[in-house]
Amino acid sequence: MNRLPAPMGLLIDRNKPLTFSFDGNACQGFAGDTVASALAANGRWLLSRSFKYHRPRGPLTMAGQDANTLVQLPDEPNVLADECPLAAGLAVTPQNVNGSLEKDRDAIIGTFSRFMPVGFYYRAFYKPKGMWKRWEPLIRKKAGLGVLELRFEPTYHDKAYLFCDLAVIGSGPAGLSAALHAANGGAKVLLIEQNPVLGGSLTYARFGLDANVAMGLREELVSAVQGHANIRVLDSAVCNAWFADNYLPVIQGNRLYKVRARQCIVASGSFDQPVIFRNNDLPGVMLTSAAQRLMRLYAVKPGKRAVVLTGNDDGYLAALDLLDAGVEVAAVVDMRERSDTPGLITAVQAKGIPCHTGHTVYEALAGKNAQHLGAVDIRRIRGQGKVAEASTRIDCDLLCMSAGYMPVYQLLCQAGGNLRYADEHAAFSIQNLPGILRVAGSVNGRHDLQRVLADGQRAASEALADLGLEATAVAGADKDDSRVNFPWPIFAHPQGKEFVDFDEDLQIRDIVNATRNGYRDVQLVKRFSTVGMGPSQGRHSALPTARLVADATGRSVSETGVTTARPPFSAEKLAHIAGRGFDPYRQTAMHRRHVELGAKLMPAGVWQRPAFYGKAEDREACMQSEARHVRERVGLIDVSTLGGLDVRGPDAAELLERMYTFGFKKLAIGRTRYALMTAEDGVVIDDGVACRLGEQHFYVSATTSGVDRVYRSMLKWNAQWRLNVDIANVSAAFAAVNLAGPLSRQVLEKVCTDVDLSPEGFPYLGLREGKVAGVPARLLRVGFVGELGYEIHVPARFGEHLWDALMKAGADFDIRPFGVETQRLLRLEKGHVIISQDTDGMTHPAEIDMGWAIGRKKPFFVGKRTIEILEAQPLKRKLVGFTLPKGSSKPLEGHLVLKGPDISGNVTSCEYSETVGAIIGMAYAGADQATPGMQIPIRVEGGEVVQATVVQLPFFDPESQRQEL
Amino acid sequence: MSLTIREHAERSPIYDLHGAAPLTLLGDRLFVAGSIDESEQLQRCALIDLSNLPRVGFRGTDSAAYLQRKGYQLPEKPNQACLQSNGEQVLRLSQTEYFLLGSLTDGGARIAADEAGWHYDERQANYLLPRQDSHAWLALSGAHLPELFAKICGVDLRAETFPLGAVVQTSVARLNAIVVNACTATLPVFHLLCDRASAHYLWGALLDAMDEFGGKPAGIEALR
Amino acid sequence: MKIMTCPLNGPRNISEFTYGGELKQMPDPATCSVAEWADYVFNSENLLGVVTEWWMHTPSNYWFLAERHTGSDEILRTFDPRELFDQRVDFAAPEAAQ
Repeated sequence: MNRLPAPMGLLIDRNKPLTFSFDGNACQGFAGDTVASALAANGRWLLSRSFKYHRPRGPLTMAGQDANTLVQLPDEPNVLADECPLAAGLAVTPQNVNGSLEKDRDAIIGTFSRFMPVGFYYRAFYKPKGMWKRWEPLIRKKAGLGVLELRFEPTYHDKAYLFCDLAVIGSGPAGLSAALHAANGGAKVLLIEQNPVLGGSLTYARFGLDANVAMGLREELVSAVQGHANIRVLDSAVCNAWFADNYLPVIQGNRLYKVRARQCIVASGSFDQPVIFRNNDLPGVMLTSAAQRLMRLYAVKPGKRAVVLTGNDDGYLAALDLLDAGVEVAAVVDMRERSDTPGLITAVQAKGIPCHTGHTVYEALAGKNAQHLGAVDIRRIRGQGKVAEASTRIDCDLLCMSAGYMPVYQLLCQAGGNLRYADEHAAFSIQNLPGILRVAGSVNGRHDLQRVLADGQRAASEALADLGLEATAVAGADKDDSRVNFPWPIFAHPQGKEFVDFDEDLQIRDIVNATRNGYRDVQLVKRFSTVGMGPSQGRHSALPTARLVADATGRSVSETGVTTARPPFSAEKLAHIAGRGFDPYRQTAMHRRHVELGAKLMPAGVWQRPAFYGKAEDREACMQSEARHVRERVGLIDVSTLGGLDVRGPDAAELLERMYTFGFKKLAIGRTRYALMTAEDGVVIDDGVACRLGEQHFYVSATTSGVDRVYRSMLKWNAQWRLNVDIANVSAAFAAVNLAGPLSRQVLEKVCTDVDLSPEGFPYLGLREGKVAGVPARLLRVGFVGELGYEIHVPARFGEHLWDALMKAGADFDIRPFGVETQRLLRLEKGHVIISQDTDGMTHPAEIDMGWAIGRKKPFFVGKRTIEILEAQPLKRKLVGFTLPKGSSKPLEGHLVLKGPDISGNVTSCEYSETVGAIIGMAYAGADQATPGMQIPIRVEGGEVVQATVVQLPFFDPESQRQEL
Repeated sequence: MSLTIREHAERSPIYDLHGAAPLTLLGDRLFVAGSIDESEQLQRCALIDLSNLPRVGFRGTDSAAYLQRKGYQLPEKPNQACLQSNGEQVLRLSQTEYFLLGSLTDGGARIAADEAGWHYDERQANYLLPRQDSHAWLALSGAHLPELFAKICGVDLRAETFPLGAVVQTSVARLNAIVVNACTATLPVFHLLCDRASAHYLWGALLDAMDEFGGKPAGIEALR
Repeated sequence: MKIMTCPLNGPRNISEFTYGGELKQMPDPATCSVAEWADYVFNSENLLGVVTEWWMHTPSNYWFLAERHTGSDEILRTFDPRELFDQRVDFAAPEAAQ
């Protein structure tokens, strides 16, 4: 293995060798390696084939920021090899390859690249119509990205909040300095670092002629941070977005932390930028920082003979790093005419390194191995993007390139920051950040190490002041005078292949042509060319694209700007977003009994309710038999999910008068009355039964799904009205059943002795309080299912006891439980409307024949004025009852009612009724179709139209004698 | 003699989740017994069902005076709890609303008596709220409570921001809930009150969140 | 996620709150014109600027008012509705209003 001696190899543990395989060949690495660094140590530089042209690709950033290192793991495609930790026995394979990585048969595609301009797919394969469907499978196969493991086992992912005074994102020199300063000032600091070790650029970059300065400083800062009681470090953790009020999703392992920071400092650093020239994607060509990372982090010698191409002074320092590692440095090629640091070039030349200022690499040339760099062609720069004819060839197997730095601005733009391009520095800066967010370090345009450290302290002091903590005043650091960006590191070649976007195989002309096709806006250039859409998300392509578009359209880079940087910052899995699912459900106190009795459960909002008792496939038979039992004997249904509100106080009746359409002031104690609620637009939104327990005490039921809204609405109105009343939502506090059927009184008599249950003592619509099975109960005589029946409400703690007692008492009368679907059939037979099933967002009372439930003499109720206005207009539609003969096609809810060629309404409820001996239902129909005896056409499944007969509601017991027994 | 649920009319909404855990009586109410040997588990991370322990609420402009007449010490501000000498907790949820939690010392007898003895007096704005029936009551204990709650709740419950006697009304695992810091000198304890009908769901969600801290269900013995 | 400060419960995730619409002055339903009533029921100002809105802290069912800038989404102030609604509101009987 090719490894440099310590202190190179900060991340690797040489005592823990690991064996793994790549493309079937055994390789060696160390714990702490990434797959890519271990492969490099094994002399393996070719990692993948490019997305479109299948060009050979090797490491570009060594920081997980490019698509060149995408590989396949056995259970996961599209893994970044320079980010993926090495594990023993890991079987890594290349992806997007036809044949072998060395001899990819699809590499021929690159030869035709000039026939495949941007937009080629859209234009070539979409005509004639329908052709794309034929081409797509072929093209998808050629452009494939890995293979999914379809037999995968889900893994546990979850989320957790993390609270701190200050979150510092990035642990480079600026982040470390900011974290320490803030922690010393008393703030609880969370330091978030993407890599497994702290230090950022201090871990790999050389900040001066003396290489030990950065290493020493890193050790000093890191040990201070790690020992600090006020600092919590999250390493190997990536902050993937900035959301309002410093809500930061940070992914670490299988957990997504929802960081809540009162203050935030982004010290995210900057991305090394490539130079755009022909064959700049050839393996062996890499960012200067990638070569430095290979050496410092993994002790891998990045090549034997190197050329350094630079747009700033850092290239000279990198050349010294290479020299120290035993790499022969054939030349430093500086695109600038001169260095900013006096004496720097002389010092480098003194080490025997030739330096060429005002030059660039014009083309990278493959060596004997056609898939690796063999030499570079360097030329004098003669103007923006132009070079001289005279060429010098320098043999090398490594080209380190850096045109400058792009601030890691993604999170800042998500926070509303504006990017501004300063021509004098050829660099972006960020303005307009929210007050709780600050930037420090190179993302803030500071590059000199002392300035970076000072900038971190400055940001921390400001944050401390905003936290109300004592801050030692710190003088901020000026912006560097030195310019780190070469303004035009883009050199077009007549034969092309100067890659602007490595992920998407986009060359200079692809971007320029997009502008010529009329896509002048950088956002449109992105969508047309797909630049910046690949895994590296514009980290290296955004700046050259902005420059090319600006140049091609005669505007400044500030004017063109860059494309939007939306979350997430780096790839994240759906499992992270999903986390551990939280799906609350509610169960009534009798739930266990339903399960024991074999109920088929159905969801009703968040409740689990019995639909009927029996197997799913026996639905019809169970329902009909349960319904028959209620009509003939006695049934028991759990109605605990009904909403319940206790309204108490001197204004209790007044509140109900205002909230519901009916009048309640004259309702006698011990009586109940139907209560219909409308919204201000006159639409029916809920109903229930109001029970008067005392002069100042009402108990009002509400629909299962509507009670929360009803309760909130009452509270909101009374926040304005200030009536002297207390409104309590007691829905969950009461368990309730409806004991229904001709024998229900006899059953109840066995368990309720302190209430006169005789028809005279407790008539229909009456209300009593007493004890049932020894527990306090509210008893209501209501007739929802149209039989003699009692709703019995008891405190929830006694719910199961009540059920048990009634089932036991009813055993002699052959009592049977019945479910919600059965209840719906029974009430349909009685023509009772279910709000939100038989009403929609437009239904007003007249449409459902509820005019009788409106107290017209009241001065006010919510919706009153609107109803008056609506009632003055002709009725457009009406809810009607209809029947169809048994054996006819049964309409389903939502099926359309027709009137000639038009739609006049829809079916809201429909079932076969054994009691009636026909299919019965309710539907909206035109007002002129609503007279009993008329036929309404209903379009059912498969387009068939059935003629239903409109009938008078209810379908059963029109005199309602049964419920009033 | 073994105790069976069926013989008791009052039932916790989640009694079936306690499996075959031995039961004990406090007064005439059933609880999972546990044992004093569970102390270590409680110090680490434990979940205890106190749903059968009496609790009640009062709301209205006259409630404070009513409760003071009954001998209760009331918190000065909303979202605070006040520990009574007998072990009851009085939570103040708003300017005029109180939530009383019974004590294990008397098995909640005092609170139960106050609930049973209340009658609606139309001259008083003091309305009883049936909190024992509307809410389930779970106690969580152990060294990891803030971290545990950070997995299911968006409010910072670290001691700096959620001290002893603090109350929050918030969302826990997507349910509305009330959390009380009721730590004692020897044991960190939070009380959690949530919709009774959702207790079955929340019990599972809490045990799942507690797993990484070695959390387990426990009985009342080691809590007394 | 955005944070809103509840006057009763303090700063909380916006997900703990329920929006209750803009604060609107109801015209007298007994005397206003149909057009005025329809405008009140169906139309919203949709101002760019500071608006006053109803919000409820869901876990405590507490309604309050918030002043919010619809451009910046900044919440400038939250306060108890008693600041604006300090007296009992009554509706005159229709006869009396006419």
